[in-house]
Amino acid sequence: MATHDELTESLKAFTDSYNKNERLKVMNRDWNRVVVVKANDIESLHTLTVQDGVVSIREGASDPPDLTVISDSETLADMFYGDITPTEPYNNGTLRIMGSEDDIVRLDFISLMIWGE
Amino acid sequence: MKRVVSVSLGSSRRDHKVMTELLGESFEIARVGTDGDFNRALELLQELDGKVDAIGLGGIDVYLFVKEKRYAVKDGLRLMEAVKTTPVVDGSGLKNTLEREVVRILAGETGLLKKGAKVLMVSSVDRFGMAEAMAEIGCDMTFGDLIFAAGIPYPIHTMHELEEIANRLLPEFTKMPFHMLYPTGKKQDTQDDAKVEKFTGYYLDAEVIAGDFHLIRRFMPAGLKGQTILTNTTTRDDIDFLKSKGAGALVTTTPEYGGRSFGTNVMEAALLAVLGKPWEEITPQEYLNLLHRLNFKPRILRL
Repeated sequence: MATHDELTESLKAFTDSYNKNERLKVMNRDWNRVVVVKANDIESLHTLTVQDGVVSIREGASDPPDLTVISDSETLADMFYGDITPTEPYNNGTLRIMGSEDDIVRLDFISLMIWGE
Repeated sequence: MKRVVSVSLGSSRRDHKVMTELLGESFEIARVGTDGDFNRALELLQELDGKVDAIGLGGIDVYLFVKEKRYAVKDGLRLMEAVKTTPVVDGSGLKNTLEREVVRILAGETGLLKKGAKVLMVSSVDRFGMAEAMAEIGCDMTFGDLIFAAGIPYPIHTMHELEEIANRLLPEFTKMPFHMLYPTGKKQDTQDDAKVEKFTGYYLDAEVIAGDFHLIRRFMPAGLKGQTILTNTTTRDDIDFLKSKGAGALVTTTPEYGGRSFGTNVMEAALLAVLGKPWEEITPQEYLNLLHRLNFKPRILRL
């Protein structure tokens, strides 16, 4: 189990890596979305906002989000630190993402562009 | 008589059966669509196993090639592994040989492809041979893999960037449910209006639009200005559709049988039945030699 602070740090690492990637920012210029990240084993909520290609993060929820990402804190921290990809937890049901299929693919894409091989 | 069947995740509206002769031998070649029903496709493959000479898998890729690297699509592999006895192929072997050859013929003999021609390839990781061949003759390439598979308006223009992004994404994307990345079943009979509008410019800017027909069709806008479409798996209705959108010519990489061109999976299965060898033992050169013996040529249709 990860702590809320560890989860916050993992999301900061994800956000920093994203915002350093100029190509990724260009790729997502058209994708303005609010993504809520929720742990289901501890009290922990964060909101990622993608606006004009740039990502920002804040603690707490947003209403209504375009995407909601739910998993246990350990999986979320591992995923946002890039230690695991979202695909396996998504396929085995550990990770749930609520939103449109297109947005889910896009979120997976962003993660792979940051951390992929 | 040899029997070849293609089991496709695509629409059953495209089902087709023909009798033909290849090198003096009679063939019955059929395509059966399962309307995106994965379990129905599994059942059908198990029913056909051991009863036909070769099986093609359609509406899904099993292997995607990026130069020498090969990525297996998890859902495609599940279908392939359901067949225990009959040889089964997804068309990727033939794509890598036949479609390079088609580009060579079009560039050398027809003028439909030339250095500097603006080409939109709606998807290239499923047709890496074609993509590479067109880049090699100096076409001005736009690879639309991110645009049309993931909705990301980011055109890729070089083989180097295509390889880099493909090698980054494919190890994981191939594990995702296939329907999330490619139109299966009834989606093949409709257009995605929002994306047609959003991505119109890519089609209108191109002189040649190449790649998978279902992707080409799903996002094609009206008002084309005589563009050449390089693809296969087209029916008579598809030809009417292309005419209505303003396309100028249709080139199919596989020959016409009974008014339509089959997918490469069907043709590769037929070649497999002709060669009578296990798929793993067939070399690209053997496919090429056989294609020459069969006098396979691209079909060019002025619309």
